[in-house]
Amino acid sequence: MKIIAIAVKDLWRAFRSFFALAFMFGVPILMTVMFAFLFGGIGGEDSEFSIPKTDVLFVNQDEGSPLVSSFPMDGQEFAKMSDMLLDSLQQDTFNDLMTLKKSNELEARSAVDEQQVDLALIIPKNFTNALIGGSQEPSQIEFYQSPEAGIGNEIVQSIVLSLVDSFSSGVIIQDTVTSIMEDNGVQLSQAEQISLMSSISSEMESGQTESQNNINLIQPAIGQTEDNGGDPLQTILRSIMSGMMIFYAFFTGTSAAQTILQEQENGTLARLFTSPTSTATILNGKFLAGFLMIIVQVSTLLIFANLVFGIQWGPVIPLVFAAISLVALATSFGIFVMSLVKGTKQAGVIYGGVLTFTGMLGISSVFVMGTPIEKAFDYLPLLVPQGWAMNAFEASWQGDWQQVLIHASGMILLAIIFFFVGNARFKKRFS
Amino acid sequence: MNNEAIKVQNLDKSFKEVHAVNDISFEIHQGEIFSLLGPNGAGKTTTIGMISGLLTPDQGQVWVMGHSVLKNPKQAKAEIGVVPQEIALYKDISARANLNFWGKMYGLRGQALTDRVETVLSLIGLEDRKDQVVSKFSGGMQRRLNVGIALLHQPQVIIMDEPTVGIDPQSRRKILDSVKQLRDQGVTILYTTHYMEEAQELSDRIAIMDYGKVIALGTHEELIDIVGELDRITLTIKGEPQDVLSKWGEIVGIEKVTSEDGKFHLLVKDSNEALPLIFDAASQANVRINSVDIQEPNLEAVFLHLTGRALRD
Repeated sequence: MKIIAIAVKDLWRAFRSFFALAFMFGVPILMTVMFAFLFGGIGGEDSEFSIPKTDVLFVNQDEGSPLVSSFPMDGQEFAKMSDMLLDSLQQDTFNDLMTLKKSNELEARSAVDEQQVDLALIIPKNFTNALIGGSQEPSQIEFYQSPEAGIGNEIVQSIVLSLVDSFSSGVIIQDTVTSIMEDNGVQLSQAEQISLMSSISSEMESGQTESQNNINLIQPAIGQTEDNGGDPLQTILRSIMSGMMIFYAFFTGTSAAQTILQEQENGTLARLFTSPTSTATILNGKFLAGFLMIIVQVSTLLIFANLVFGIQWGPVIPLVFAAISLVALATSFGIFVMSLVKGTKQAGVIYGGVLTFTGMLGISSVFVMGTPIEKAFDYLPLLVPQGWAMNAFEASWQGDWQQVLIHASGMILLAIIFFFVGNARFKKRFS
Repeated sequence: MNNEAIKVQNLDKSFKEVHAVNDISFEIHQGEIFSLLGPNGAGKTTTIGMISGLLTPDQGQVWVMGHSVLKNPKQAKAEIGVVPQEIALYKDISARANLNFWGKMYGLRGQALTDRVETVLSLIGLEDRKDQVVSKFSGGMQRRLNVGIALLHQPQVIIMDEPTVGIDPQSRRKILDSVKQLRDQGVTILYTTHYMEEAQELSDRIAIMDYGKVIALGTHEELIDIVGELDRITLTIKGEPQDVLSKWGEIVGIEKVTSEDGKFHLLVKDSNEALPLIFDAASQANVRINSVDIQEPNLEAVFLHLTGRALRD
């Protein structure tokens, strides 16, 4: 009962503190809102985020292939694969994402340089020939854009790459099918082979576009491969919100443990020691207070993010595992960190230095998404507890049970170690 | 243990090179007010820290109501209410919330807790301000609440560490009166102070501490007897003191001459007889007397007699 009384008292005091509330709820939400504006703003009648529409100039230098003169798809005939690509990009499903106009290379580059358009999509001469295997030379699609290009450009690039992938996969499948049929004594004419390839590409392409509301199409641009709730911006916001939530949960845990030092300086801790209350009870009460505080913080932020930003957190049970592990780890880490310092003045250094450094490293995957150094940050964040939490949440919204359990177990183990070491240090200090 | 509420035996405590408490022993009887009197740094707070279980002694034993503080700290602590020297309150919550919390720390629950909180609020005169945040209170009101917390669980022993430091006369009077009331209800009180008047007014027995040792212990009358019926004359002078000090020391009836911080203390049998001789000696030594203060025998004089220093810092 005394443990609960101590916890309730600390909770009551924390929720009356503007500073504590700002750090628990205000700052994580503000940071996410800032990123939301950065990536395209908050807007729309339904208060959901909108992705900026990208102005694209399509420069088609494709010369087709001497091997094939016509590619049938969806009842249409195309002279070149690039025409199929252009037709696919002009479908209604992409209208909200881009405006597409044809241009020549010179004008397109100039328009990008003068910031009249966002992106020039330059299709090389050997595009069709390379795709159908008529050319050994690699074919390179050029995305000509300003270095400050935004997320809209990345989305368009991802769509293009995805469509090209489907065309190329169609060719591979067609080759395989033809080979198998030839092995079985069935010879396809060139027209039949082209028709087969077109059908496969068409099916694959339509399969992609049917699910175009799903972020799979553009995931490669932002380092995701799993479900995303249907909005690429939300995927980014989900990562940011998770990062901010984890970052500030550790601040809350440390802040809760800091009350031990505050009470020591205010004389109330000494008074507690003169009451028939053991040191263990006092420390456990402090732990419970921090635990409850972070539960409230994490739950509020998860629900708030869902209701306001429309962020989908994935399956509930893995999410609960990740969240509870985060709460335990952040609380015990706070006890451990505060056991290393002697007073609240030193605690300021902890806030400014240690928590910021470990926090930023732990959630660094958010900031390197889609960059060339992304791979390097697969394991580096695991050096700090925040990294384990970030990985657990990422696995959670992907519904990856195994990874959730691995990371949650790691977090609980770390939490136990931090709790016992921190407790032992405090007990020694107060003995 | 018989009638002993607190028994302290060969208690010793050092902090690095500072020997804060040096092998002290005493007993406090049930229902008495026992004062530890001494200047700042005498070891009073360290002594009550060890009695209340806050500090572990290097040597020695303490019993509270028969419970060893070292061996059965929980039982011993349950018998004690501590009023710390510094105001130990949660200032960002109300007086009632503070009392509720501390009551729970002493095992009070439910209606019993509610009743005790209301009683204590009434006792310390904060009924009307009970729901106000403590940070809005005056220093005196905070002191009263600081005292009230120690009364919540109706302890057998209350330890008060300089509870009247830095407060207004009205709050000081209220605290002193409440201490007497508690004694009348049979509560044992261990009171530390460096205010001689408080010790004199409140105490059944007084232990005078200096440099970690108990240098005198007894009732007020017993302590006064140490200096006998000597008056204390305090003088300030203008001129070279060396000659006049030796002349004063030769006067019959002057028992002791000491100087401290520019003041000269003379312990005399009869101040009326001694004063003209003191002035004559000063005149012969070409010293001008600027001020004269005469005091009847008191604890200040006892401390001066025992240590050669004034009680106040």
